[in-house]
Amino acid sequence: MRRVRPHRAASSVPSGWRVAGPGTAAVLSAAVALCGAAWLAATPSVHGQDARTPVVVWHSYGESEERGLSAATAAFEQANPDVDVRLVAIPWGAYASKLEAAIPVHRGPDVFIDAHNRARAYLDAGLIQPFGALSAEATDDLEPAHLAALTLDGTLYGVPVSVKAGALFVNEDLAAGRPLRALEDLEGLRSTLPSDVFPLAWDADDAYQFAALLHAYGGEMLSLEGTYRFVGREAERACEHLLRLLQTRTIPEETGYELVRDLFRGGHAVAAVSGPWLANDLPADLNYSVRPLPVVRGADGHAMEAYATVEAAMIAAHARSVSASRRVAAFLAGREGSVLRAVEGRHVVASRGAWLDPRLASDVRLRAFREAAAAGRVMSSHRSMHAVFTPAERALRKLLRGDAPIPAALTEGQHRFEDETREPPAARSPVFGLLALGMLLMLGCVSMVQRARDPSFRRDVRASMPAYRWVAHAALAVGVLVIAPLVVGAGTSFFAGHGRDLHYVGLANYIEILTARGGDLLGHGSVWTVLAVTLAWTAANITLHVALGVSLALLLHRPTLRMRGLYRVLLVLPWAVPSYVTALAWRGMFHRQFGAVNAVLVLFGGEPISWFARWTTAFAANVATNVWLGFPFMMVVTLGALTSIPRDLYEAAEVDGASPAQQFRHITLPLLRPSLAPAVAMGAVWTFNMFNVVYLVSAGEPDGSTEILVSEAYRWAFTRGQQVGYAAAYAVIIFLMLMVANRGLARIGQPVGGPGPKAGSA
Amino acid sequence: MSRSRLQEAAVHLVLWVAVLFALYPVMWVTTQALSGGGATEGRIIPWPATPSLDHFTAVIGRVTDEGVWLFGLQLLNSVVVSAATALTAIGIATPAAYALSRFRFVGAEGATRTLLATQMFPGVAASIPLYLLLDGAGLLDTRTGLVLVYATSAVPFAIFQLRGAFDAIPRELEEAAMVDGATRFVAFVRVVLPAVRPALAITALFAFMSAWNEFILAATFLTSEDLYTLPILLNRYASEHDSNFGHFAAGAIVVSVPVMLLFYALQRQLVSGLTAGGVKG
Amino acid sequence: MASLSLQGIQKSLGGQPILRGVDLEVATGELVVLVGPSGCGKSTLLRTVAGLESPDGGVVRIGARDVTRLPPRDRDLAMVFQSYALYPHLTVRENLAFGLKLRGTSAATITERTDEVAQMLGLGPLLDRFPRDMSGGQRQRVAMGRAIVRRPSLFLFDEPLSNLDAALRADVRVEIKRLHQRLGATMLYVTHDQVEAMTLASRLVVLRAGQVEQVGPPLEVYARPVSRFVAAFLGSPAMNFLEADLGSGRLRAPGLDVVVPQPAVGGDVPGPVLVGIRAHDVVPAKGARADVRLRVEVLEAMGFEAYAHGHVGDAPFVARLEGDAARGITVGDELGLDVAAGSVHLFDRQTGRTLR
Repeated sequence: MRRVRPHRAASSVPSGWRVAGPGTAAVLSAAVALCGAAWLAATPSVHGQDARTPVVVWHSYGESEERGLSAATAAFEQANPDVDVRLVAIPWGAYASKLEAAIPVHRGPDVFIDAHNRARAYLDAGLIQPFGALSAEATDDLEPAHLAALTLDGTLYGVPVSVKAGALFVNEDLAAGRPLRALEDLEGLRSTLPSDVFPLAWDADDAYQFAALLHAYGGEMLSLEGTYRFVGREAERACEHLLRLLQTRTIPEETGYELVRDLFRGGHAVAAVSGPWLANDLPADLNYSVRPLPVVRGADGHAMEAYATVEAAMIAAHARSVSASRRVAAFLAGREGSVLRAVEGRHVVASRGAWLDPRLASDVRLRAFREAAAAGRVMSSHRSMHAVFTPAERALRKLLRGDAPIPAALTEGQHRFEDETREPPAARSPVFGLLALGMLLMLGCVSMVQRARDPSFRRDVRASMPAYRWVAHAALAVGVLVIAPLVVGAGTSFFAGHGRDLHYVGLANYIEILTARGGDLLGHGSVWTVLAVTLAWTAANITLHVALGVSLALLLHRPTLRMRGLYRVLLVLPWAVPSYVTALAWRGMFHRQFGAVNAVLVLFGGEPISWFARWTTAFAANVATNVWLGFPFMMVVTLGALTSIPRDLYEAAEVDGASPAQQFRHITLPLLRPSLAPAVAMGAVWTFNMFNVVYLVSAGEPDGSTEILVSEAYRWAFTRGQQVGYAAAYAVIIFLMLMVANRGLARIGQPVGGPGPKAGSA
Repeated sequence: MSRSRLQEAAVHLVLWVAVLFALYPVMWVTTQALSGGGATEGRIIPWPATPSLDHFTAVIGRVTDEGVWLFGLQLLNSVVVSAATALTAIGIATPAAYALSRFRFVGAEGATRTLLATQMFPGVAASIPLYLLLDGAGLLDTRTGLVLVYATSAVPFAIFQLRGAFDAIPRELEEAAMVDGATRFVAFVRVVLPAVRPALAITALFAFMSAWNEFILAATFLTSEDLYTLPILLNRYASEHDSNFGHFAAGAIVVSVPVMLLFYALQRQLVSGLTAGGVKG
Repeated sequence: MASLSLQGIQKSLGGQPILRGVDLEVATGELVVLVGPSGCGKSTLLRTVAGLESPDGGVVRIGARDVTRLPPRDRDLAMVFQSYALYPHLTVRENLAFGLKLRGTSAATITERTDEVAQMLGLGPLLDRFPRDMSGGQRQRVAMGRAIVRRPSLFLFDEPLSNLDAALRADVRVEIKRLHQRLGATMLYVTHDQVEAMTLASRLVVLRAGQVEQVGPPLEVYARPVSRFVAAFLGSPAMNFLEADLGSGRLRAPGLDVVVPQPAVGGDVPGPVLVGIRAHDVVPAKGARADVRLRVEVLEAMGFEAYAHGHVGDAPFVARLEGDAARGITVGDELGLDVAAGSVHLFDRQTGRTLR
């Protein structure tokens, strides 16, 4: 498994909150009736009402791996006619949040497959239950290390089905029979290769990948007790080695998985370090072999040890039939199921016995993955494991850029880790909070009663009755489906803890955020610094959105323009393609060595730029992407508004001798304002909360300095030990800031979303 | 004469530069989609080394074990869900936007401010409460539930958009209709709505697209594969276990084609400046 | 056709009183023009009659029906808007037919009536056009046609000519007058243009700050304004006003010395008054003695007539002179003028009411 990235855009607010009572249900049903979409009332796939025990298995495998799982479950059903196994594939991006949402309300799976290192979070969130004792036969069939990885607080929480770890892919045509047993052998290839072929494609500035080298030097990321260990002599030596690999151009710069894949499959890399997933992306005619990771002579000949991830079948809390679920899970992990999965889906199965099967024994590549996995180091199941990677990676990149000496950069990473994983604030008695809530409610009631007593208010309300008939359904729908969930979400900001293990802390989260957790108020990661970046981000984007959108709309609106329809369609293209795909394309275009942007720069005699090495350029790259994504919206809004400006106004102005610039200034702009102002206000709000681009393009680089408030909030929710209360407090702060800004703007005289012209009703 | 020619040429030049800017990243995605396994060639000009339609045929041709054409089914789901979202959002937002534009009533300002506020709250923080809500209403794993969620989150924006459109329509238009014998509702339907048709179209398009491209909520609220929408399928190619960027890119292109067609079809509607004549000067 | 009766109409908008108890009777077949400066409440009054605004107090009757609480559609009236408010998505024919269709009129009747109206207003060639393809004058006629075709018992006009150019305005004015005579319809017409008011009205209603200032046939209102406000509003150029002292049958001020014909002023209370003299109520003085001495500063010669602008004492003054008298003047002259008998209007300086 590749490192579990906080890729999910959906948040996971702990669901200790039950909001759905019969009341809300009734209200919601009314809303449904209102929209009259009864014909849509869909048919959740209902399988025949047979006597078999259903076992629902969730997984996030892609197509090829899913085949293996299907084959195994089909075999299980054949052997166990009393059980009906239903496989549900869930996109990885929504996997964890869906588990968190569904299991507590008994809508989840009975069995689900996920990486061992997520088990701790699932346990914290109450999503899994003990697996129970394994048979002696099963225990013998599995690696003790894998079982240990799934044993939390002395209890087994899942059964290992597959193991994945990085391996060395070697292009045999390019390697031409050279042994390549050590990392230094690959370094030695440099002088023999053309400049566009790299000895090794490896995304080593990814902390997860880099750990392999760190392990060779005797270092580690996290101790068993959860202490950050990416500091000290071993770490420094590993970093020095990595620096050398980059300086000698043994490995390419700024590498991500996509680049590794492209270089290797295009014959531009002799070798690549990657997990088994790379094999799925390689063409059948590529002559390559898979080997264990090389040794490092500089590290006394120790081998590189990639992180190994154990994919496990876990029994969900509230599983309908625990015994049937256990049987399914055990079958998947067992020898027979494993063979099927390996043969049909190329799973690198954990079962030892399965590898005795001739079909597996003869599969050289699959065996190689198994050997690589066996040589790997099983990642710690500690709660803080996820929180290690971002600080470690930031430190790594900082020292690779040469922005700080190695020891200083590593120490900074340690501080960051300690800051982010500090103990949550102590629990407080909720009495004061409840008291305050009660007071607020009472004050609200009192003021309501007072207003209701005012006869002029009552007259106004009576006069408003006809209007209410027009807005009631919208108020109901938005109130129930938008506002209520937001309020509940905001409520979690008064709680702290990990996953579901929450306690009331009052305003402690807010105080910690606003005081930068006791650190430097203008320092790294302080809400105030991030706010400044966010403001710059919003201002830059909105200015460019409007400038570009309005200019293009004006050009398109020229009465004499030909091919207008074509232009219009081509120009809104960025808006039509899903942004989660195009943002990745943009990141690729900003790559230092392989990106199109630098290629163009070089073409015009410029120097290639490390776009994500400096705040200004990284910020610019983010802005460029978001401007690209957002200008069609402004353009279309402006086009719509322009059509409502009568042409004779321009004719009149022309007669009056107004220059085009004056016409724009005195006719177009004032008349565009009313339709553009709300669009700009909305655009500003959306940009302020635009998580995708920052996350996918710069990923906060360099050093987290391009993070904006909302991406910080996400990091707290996902990569820093699921501090959802803290993240919710962040969200509330963002919300309050936007409200204040809107009020301020309204006061200056820009009626942003304020009520428009009104008159009496009839 | 020649000066205006020159000007015309300059306009086209600027537009082509803009088009290049707009298309370039999309061309990279297309290139990935068309690269049948080999690497992409060149760093500036996006072009696949070995063009092939393998990714497209793989994505479109997906069939379940039972022989159901999965792509077709999910395309249908996407169309149904997105169209229903657009209709529902317009249905909910239009009367409210009209009331905000035309009536003075107690709470109008508060409602407007609340609507704006919903846009300011980082939205996904609400996904779990929303899940519980849908569960309570028995709408989990139904298209109806998904449509409701999409539609209501599209409503605040639609209200703002449409209120602006209504503000631009003179009140006298519906007053004339009311004097002519219409109730306010009939005047609204027969006179005001036709006059804001372009705005309705554009707002519906926005709502449609918000549903069309969304996958997190869809994947969270839907569990049956026969209800899945296309983006869920698409995002399965970006799975952590075996990603296939070629499939992913091909899927992205396939998903965006209907949106492009829709915009092309609607653009006539958008430019037809219906209100320009009758109500002004 | 029906009569219209308004009793004590009151209306405030946003706490601001717009109408302060308006009473008005419009007889069947009458064309009553509501006139007044902008902001006097005349449009609000019209919209209240239409049912587009509901009054805070008072009663609106059309014929014998109390329609105060009825929606516009049940009042059986038609309205021509300042902006015409043509339905932009409908052709002229559909615009004309819209109201009839809503009332469920049969298709045959609709065709018959629209054709009739189209012929009456010369709209025949325009029937299949959209409003955006027509000139301002054409749209205005469609708007009138849309009102006529319904054969309502009451027509309301809200400044229907203000968006037309001057020449067209004069034509349409005549046309409206002709229509009124031909249809014999009851009409309530709002304008701020005194020429329209004078030429169209059977009776004139001058509104001031939400109250009726004066009602009467236009010529009578013109000749006997009840206040300085009405006097100033009607007539072009506007009436000249001078502050003077009244005593022993004479009005005196710098440059002014007029004998007040007895018994023009009831009681003959001596003291300061406001004197109003219209520009065309003066003639050149026959002898050395003159009622008014005007220093001529600007001269507008128009052929037969001329306007002499200048000051009498410190007060600005305009005189209209005819024929030979108009020709002999030069700028800088001090012109002696006599006021036609009975043409001196006296107003209370404080209240502005006419002194009788």
